[in-house]
Amino acid sequence: MLKKDLLELCLLQLLDGGDKYGYEVLTPLRSAFPDTQESAIYALLRGLGKAGFTSWYMAPSGGGPDRKYYKLTPAGRDRLEELRSDWRNMRDAITSFGVE
Amino acid sequence: MTKQRYLRRFSRAVRWRLPPREAAEAIADYREMVYQEGREESRLVEELGEPVQSAHLLTDVRAYRRWLAVFGVLAFGLFLLAKWCFTGRSSIYLVYYDPWWYPVWVLAVGLALSLYWFRRHGQKNGPLSKRLVLALAVVLIAGCGVMYGIWDVTGAVIYEQVSEHRSGLIEQVRLVITAMMYVGTLSAAAALAGLVLAKCNDRRWLALYILGVTVAAMIGFVTFNFKGMNLDYPPVELMRVYLFARLIPIGAAGLIGTGVALC
Repeated sequence: MLKKDLLELCLLQLLDGGDKYGYEVLTPLRSAFPDTQESAIYALLRGLGKAGFTSWYMAPSGGGPDRKYYKLTPAGRDRLEELRSDWRNMRDAITSFGVE
Repeated sequence: MTKQRYLRRFSRAVRWRLPPREAAEAIADYREMVYQEGREESRLVEELGEPVQSAHLLTDVRAYRRWLAVFGVLAFGLFLLAKWCFTGRSSIYLVYYDPWWYPVWVLAVGLALSLYWFRRHGQKNGPLSKRLVLALAVVLIAGCGVMYGIWDVTGAVIYEQVSEHRSGLIEQVRLVITAMMYVGTLSAAAALAGLVLAKCNDRRWLALYILGVTVAAMIGFVTFNFKGMNLDYPPVELMRVYLFARLIPIGAAGLIGTGVALC
């Protein structure tokens, strides 16, 4: 698994917990991967949308202008499952070397 | 870098690289990100990356390369037209074709390729810009002025007198040729600006490209004809008829193309 796949896994996992607007996605990912710029995370988010793993809709925010909310599509859930499985395999493989 | 400046630079970069709808979406998203509460201007580049780099991350490389290829062909055509209008010389020699048709080929390729590309990939953006109307009017008036000058100096009487080296009339011819050089070159430059604005702003700016390339091609056509003519060889009085019998359909094709680009 590459770092991009890990980012993708975390991003899809976040959306699995409920629809989120851009900032709610970008902030935790940037905290978890501090050497990754938000532009790269945003590009990944757009790439997932183009691939059909996420979709978006506009919804009102508390007092401010409408916000763009991202949500997981059924294809996105399948992709998340695939990435989770890859992650577990990699984790087990690394653990077998004694890495904790 | 201020938030406004960041967004402006990002918008420019993204409009150049992405299809119009995707660019508009990315700009709207970045506006939200840049103006997010708590976002500090001093850390903008550190957190979001350089604007051009951010645009690069969103670029579909294959589609962008296709656009660059189209732009390269059209811009090279404009460079040739500007060079031909300014110097009256071509470094291209094709045995079976007279050089005065070269600018017309450039016009034909530019017209077909640009209309195909922008009708397919371009997008209108709001009402028709007043600056576009003004630019079109300037190029049209300059082109008509030069065509009138060419009509004036290609009369049979003028030819006879010029061949006898009457200084006042030679001056008139020199003035028209100078106007042709500058109007032709500047029309090509205006066409380039129209092409860039058609990609970054509104596809109707393509009208400026088409009108500019038409004026430059017509002037290039006349320039090569002037360079190739022989004043001692009759019947020179047919020059005006010969030129305008060809210039009128070329100009009409360009004007129709301009109209299509505006629709």
